Amino acid sequence: MLKKNVVTMLCLVLVFSVLAACSGGNSGGNEPSNQPSASSNSGSNTPSEEPKEEDIKDKKVTISIYYPLPDQVENRKLEDEKIARFLKEYPNVEIVKSDWHYNPAEIGIKMAANEAPTVFNTWATEAKFLIERGWAADITDIWNNYEHKDQINPVLQNQFIIDGKVYGVAQKGYVVTTVLNKKMLDEKGVAVPGYDWTWDDMLNTAKAVADPSKGISGIAPMGKGNEAGWNWTNFLFQAGGEIQTVEGGKVTAAFNSAAGFKALEFYNKLRWEADAIPQDWALGWGDAVGAFAQGRTAMVIAGADGVLEQALNQGGMKPEDVLTYPMPKADANGKHTGVLGGDYLVINPNATKDEQEIAFRYITFDYFSDKGLESLEADIQARQTEGKYYIPAQLNYYSNDSEYGQKAKAVFDKYDNVYKYAPESDALLDGKPEAQYNTQDYYGEMTNVLQEVFSKKGADLQGLLDSAAKLVQEKFYDAIVVE
Amino acid sequence: MNQPVAPNPIPLDASYRKTPKWRKHIWGYLFLLPAAVIFIMFLWVPIVKGMFYSFYDIDFVKGNTFVGFDNYRTVFDDGDVWIAVKNTLYYMFLCIVIGFWVPILFAIAISELRRFQGFVRVAAYLPNVVPAVVLYGLWRWFYDPVGPINGFLTQTGAESISFLTDRAWSMISLVLMETWQQFGSAMLIYLAAVLSIPKDWYEAAEIDGAGIFRRIWHITLPSIRGLILLLFLLQLIGTSQGFQSQLALLDGGPNKATLTYALLIVKYATAKLDYGVASALGVLMFLVLGGLAVLQYRLNNKGGAGV
Repeated sequence: MLKKNVVTMLCLVLVFSVLAACSGGNSGGNEPSNQPSASSNSGSNTPSEEPKEEDIKDKKVTISIYYPLPDQVENRKLEDEKIARFLKEYPNVEIVKSDWHYNPAEIGIKMAANEAPTVFNTWATEAKFLIERGWAADITDIWNNYEHKDQINPVLQNQFIIDGKVYGVAQKGYVVTTVLNKKMLDEKGVAVPGYDWTWDDMLNTAKAVADPSKGISGIAPMGKGNEAGWNWTNFLFQAGGEIQTVEGGKVTAAFNSAAGFKALEFYNKLRWEADAIPQDWALGWGDAVGAFAQGRTAMVIAGADGVLEQALNQGGMKPEDVLTYPMPKADANGKHTGVLGGDYLVINPNATKDEQEIAFRYITFDYFSDKGLESLEADIQARQTEGKYYIPAQLNYYSNDSEYGQKAKAVFDKYDNVYKYAPESDALLDGKPEAQYNTQDYYGEMTNVLQEVFSKKGADLQGLLDSAAKLVQEKFYDAIVVE
Repeated sequence: MNQPVAPNPIPLDASYRKTPKWRKHIWGYLFLLPAAVIFIMFLWVPIVKGMFYSFYDIDFVKGNTFVGFDNYRTVFDDGDVWIAVKNTLYYMFLCIVIGFWVPILFAIAISELRRFQGFVRVAAYLPNVVPAVVLYGLWRWFYDPVGPINGFLTQTGAESISFLTDRAWSMISLVLMETWQQFGSAMLIYLAAVLSIPKDWYEAAEIDGAGIFRRIWHITLPSIRGLILLLFLLQLIGTSQGFQSQLALLDGGPNKATLTYALLIVKYATAKLDYGVASALGVLMFLVLGGLAVLQYRLNNKGGAGV
């Protein structure tokens, strides 16, 4: 009898499970599962109620916004001030703070659950990915009505303009640089190289400053996660190489070229000839930047502001000890090319038109405004009293040469706790956007190649590049049809 | 239209017998309900949904598309899957060779202690309460080229070891770290079993002239044999799903040397956002682990865990 009951229970459980599984959000059809979120507002979305044109300021709209994490106290203060000023001008708007920060591993779930905020942050690398999946709203109409659209830094903004349509708003950007700990060089009596440096200068400097017996390396190229491939791609670009070529509607892997070999050979030299990289080279972004801030490596390759923030405000280093270099050129005739990256804000496509409009106005509220500069200055002053530094972005949504750029510079010049990039270094920067297709997949494969080079002396460099290119081609590029 | 309804042909005594049985058990079922709901929602539904998803191209926004066995084809065509299977088997093997005997040894050793038994028991269990983030930071330092282990090695004239970046060492290093952290909980289970063995058996053996090793070999180990077998199977099931330390410390590197099957599932789901293939991988794993679970269940019933 007991057995019969158990069997009945099990059957019931199974039946309920199957029913629950089948009745889930997606039934396997092609129907979109996420209806646009019901606006908590005027109900003006129904076409029948549209005859008289309302001012958007009169409408009750709720938006959720990208809000800094709890440990970013200064940034939170800045955002709170911005919210207060915005609400003064838009009293009918309700702003919900969301401290979800963009993560490629979470965005799919967030969009599926309709939990992504109305405004969320992302990076230059994600443009294609978000747009292809329909996870970034097409804001072309709103953009075209924006009065300052022509003043936005085109180098950054163009990353989010695809086929003439606008999908995001540039905040700030960077060209990958090499950040150098001058103090470590001075202590070892190693000459500080000039900004117009080459691969040989980098190798010699790294070799001279490295002391493996004490766990000190000359340079820490990232060796774990996709960031390893990203770091190496800078050298590929300096050697004149490309990740992929797009011709005749086809995408072809191109990183196994002679330039690719040259760049990989340079990594091989850093590891096996100069013994200049950490013995424990499996370092991700956080590990490598952390090693730099702790004085365990003299050089690190990354966007400068992230490294400087950690070195100056968390590692307690002095600005005069931390120099920002452009990436070295491959040889005397080369260019200081670095991958161009940036931070962007995008708008949730599930939001209503009113929500999208208000979200855009919120994003650009402080852009080109004196209020924005005043708020920035107050933040610099607050940091000064706390003994902290303000690290300006290398590239901003405005051009540094513009009138607004000059105004911002005047503010920065007033304070000694603002990190100053060397103008001769900035003048050499040469930013190159990443490849358009499957960049993260390519980075992932290159990471495996680099790990093989770092762990195996005498690895077959060309063979490794060729097999990685074949794999990326067959697994990802062959499936792409370029229209 | 209004036909008279025929009376219920069931004899009165039969219905009388049925109703009270449900009534008798209704409260029991109601008490079971919350647990059953949670069980269904968070265990059965994901399992069944995973099986459905393995036949679909999953797009949570635009909707799913049925793709038949395409996801399974992708799994069998992906070279990384076979690397991951091989790595997982190697990892399971290492966990047995390096880690499986440690809690047994500690449990027996602690049971033999006449003093400080409580203190040693707590000390051995302590690594278990170390949070994962601290654990990884701590062992990264232990394994550092200038960390304590390499410091000791170089002082004794041996060559230093790249514990994490040398392909030959990377998986071993992870298993050593996990053994250190996890042996305490298994040790407590073994210890409870060892302490429950009647003392007079040992006394009788001592009178017969058996030394400590003969007592362990002839009394302790046979007494806990069933438990050893049970924990062995549980360890196999547990380690076959291992991915956490591989992900946190090495992200599957160097060059896929620590890419386990479960880590590959995680990568398919979170990095490639290909939930269909991730589900197909999960279903295949479910079938294998289901077999192991059945085996464990049968052994458990047969041996009564031996304690």
